[in-house]
Amino acid sequence: MIALNKPWLADFLTGERQAWIFVFKCLLAFYVAAWLAMLLQLEQPATSMVTVGLVMHPQSGMVRAKGFYRAIGNVAGSLCALVLIAAFAQQRELFLLALSLWVAGCAGGAMKYRNFMSYGFVLSGYTAAIVALPAISDPYNVFDAAMMRVSEVLLGVIVAGVVSDVIFPDRLGDVLRRSRRGHFEQFIAMASEPLDGSTPRSQMERTHLRFVRSAVQIEDLRSSVIFEDPDTRARSRRMQLHNLKYMAAATTFQSLYHLIDRLRRQNHADTANALVRLYGPIGEALSAGPTDTPEPKALAERIAACEALLPALASEMRNAFRNDLDLQMEFDGGATLVRRFASELHDLIMLEATLRKPLGRLPDGIEHVGFKRSNDHVAPLITALRGFLALAMLSLFWIDTSWASGPSALLTASYFCGLLATSPTPVSAAINISIGYALGMSAAFAVAFCLMPGSDGFTMLILASLPLMAIGPYLLTRNATLPGMGTGYVMSFAGILALKNPMVYNPEQFLNDAIASWFGVVACAVAFMLIPTVIGTSWLRRRQLRKLRQQVTVAASSPMTGLLYETESANRDLLHQIVQHTRPDSEEMRHLLTWDLAVHECVRAIIELRQDMQHAELPPPLKHIMQRSVDALAELYDAPDTRRWQEADRIVGHAITLTAQTLPRAQASCRPPLAHLLQLRAALRDDASALAPFIASTPEPSHAA
Amino acid sequence: MPRELDLAGATVPSLLLVYLACLLAQWVIDTVAGRFGLYHHVWHPPLFRVALFACLFSAIGLLLYP
Repeated sequence: MIALNKPWLADFLTGERQAWIFVFKCLLAFYVAAWLAMLLQLEQPATSMVTVGLVMHPQSGMVRAKGFYRAIGNVAGSLCALVLIAAFAQQRELFLLALSLWVAGCAGGAMKYRNFMSYGFVLSGYTAAIVALPAISDPYNVFDAAMMRVSEVLLGVIVAGVVSDVIFPDRLGDVLRRSRRGHFEQFIAMASEPLDGSTPRSQMERTHLRFVRSAVQIEDLRSSVIFEDPDTRARSRRMQLHNLKYMAAATTFQSLYHLIDRLRRQNHADTANALVRLYGPIGEALSAGPTDTPEPKALAERIAACEALLPALASEMRNAFRNDLDLQMEFDGGATLVRRFASELHDLIMLEATLRKPLGRLPDGIEHVGFKRSNDHVAPLITALRGFLALAMLSLFWIDTSWASGPSALLTASYFCGLLATSPTPVSAAINISIGYALGMSAAFAVAFCLMPGSDGFTMLILASLPLMAIGPYLLTRNATLPGMGTGYVMSFAGILALKNPMVYNPEQFLNDAIASWFGVVACAVAFMLIPTVIGTSWLRRRQLRKLRQQVTVAASSPMTGLLYETESANRDLLHQIVQHTRPDSEEMRHLLTWDLAVHECVRAIIELRQDMQHAELPPPLKHIMQRSVDALAELYDAPDTRRWQEADRIVGHAITLTAQTLPRAQASCRPPLAHLLQLRAALRDDASALAPFIASTPEPSHAA
Repeated sequence: MPRELDLAGATVPSLLLVYLACLLAQWVIDTVAGRFGLYHHVWHPPLFRVALFACLFSAIGLLLYP
């Protein structure tokens, strides 16, 4: 045996091993589905096989999630087909128009919901087409046909789910646990470093980006792992709360970093150093440990001890600034942030500790929070319009030419319009799919008319079709280099081969159907060329950046319940979407990140301020001026310009003055909002932030009143 | 229990309803087992779950088709 002393060879073999395990699982699922479909005397075993091919994915959680949404989409689609046939059985124009509208709406939905729900929408459109199109010439049997299609598709979903879950499972749950642990440790490592301002701003921006990505990634994983792993499902809420605390703590850390950075730049080194010293105990508690990666339980205890020390330490340090009220207020603001960070960190570590505990009953009473996605409305509308035009044109062509294979073309078009909607490069993907389609068709022709006529029985069927069938799943594992080709091959091979018991051999119909399906794919590609996708275009990125800024308006005006998590998650989801299509290290990326940091800090401070405003003892005039400053900030971020900046700066300054005047009379209710107002003003006047171009050249003296 | 049921004019095999009921039962069992971490005592949790489902479904199905 050759010794594996070459690392590239070892890598190659590991990759190939996973690829071939996947191919094996796929083939097994294909033939089990075909065998069961024939055993149960379903009309078209090919539908089950195509379903298996479309649902299979190297990771089992993915298959379950896909399968779940696919089943829902399938049922919805067949119900729609029943309604369409019942309503327009004698009116082909109206029928095709309504079908195009339904498919287009589903494509739009697939675009809007970017996770596995997207898949359910694609399938819903496709099933409506697959049920209704063949049945239109025989409307009396539409119910039976719908039942058949639903049974076939569900059979495929179940077989694919069981096979991929039971045989050599590649568990996504482990990936989730590993990555959550990894992100947690990275975060702790970063927070344990002293905050002395030695970290350059650009590095801080990259760290921020990493935290944003990890929060979105963990949520993506969680939402599909809950289908795979009952343990994760039981801990699902806890994980969401963990993610919230993670995001909140990351935002607070960033705010604290920028506050200290600003104080240094404004020559208030004493205040900055005092804050660094105040942060010291937290850093020590996180880093000082006998082992490299201390247990979360021990960490939590140390943080709790340090949290108890902080107020005393803060009031002691505060005395050093008693001669300068301004500096004292700045210090108070920073100290609030440090205390908030400590308490958020403590919550995060406690949650991590319970999540790591593998066995036993979990404590009750977990607050329910949901990850809010930020979806755009225009992009799905464009997708829906494109899908509608593509299907309507194909329908017209079908009617006007009396084309016998029209339904096949319409069917493939309805599937790929939805499937390609979420792809950033749909035209090249469609071309790849059409190549895969052509290859699959030729392979299916060879199998159907050269190999199968001589074979007898199911074993021979497998032997005759397996070698060429195996190419499809193998191409699926090469999705990174040849996107779409595997999908095209599997769909055309399994769909056009149309295994049946007994098998029907009709070369003329075979070729007509094959060419029509291929034509459907090409029509889809043409539709994507005529109405190009908006994903990844600079137009959509600008739009999303604007939406990101408007998160400040959301934070300023939405009802308070659950607002924190909503904005923290929506901000990150938006940034994640824009970042995916922005070149790293480009000018645009830097611009985007500075805006995102500004929005994050401002949103968080506004939410905290609004929470403080609910304090019962806060005098109404103060409440009023605070509300006005929140509104002014929202206006500024909505459409930043110099005038609005001046207005916001003036109102926030006024609010600070009024609050500071009331402070001696109402310490408890005025101190927290004052800290947040100061933070807002500091962020507003930060000349290294995204707002820098709008800062008026002659800022008013800070305490004009 | 009859082998076919009449649901709004369509004849539905009662086995389908049994299947759905079993899915529901499996979901409840999964939730409880996940909450108490019972699957950690099993070698191959997915295989165990499939087997459990097969047992449930066959046991109730055999009542219909003795």
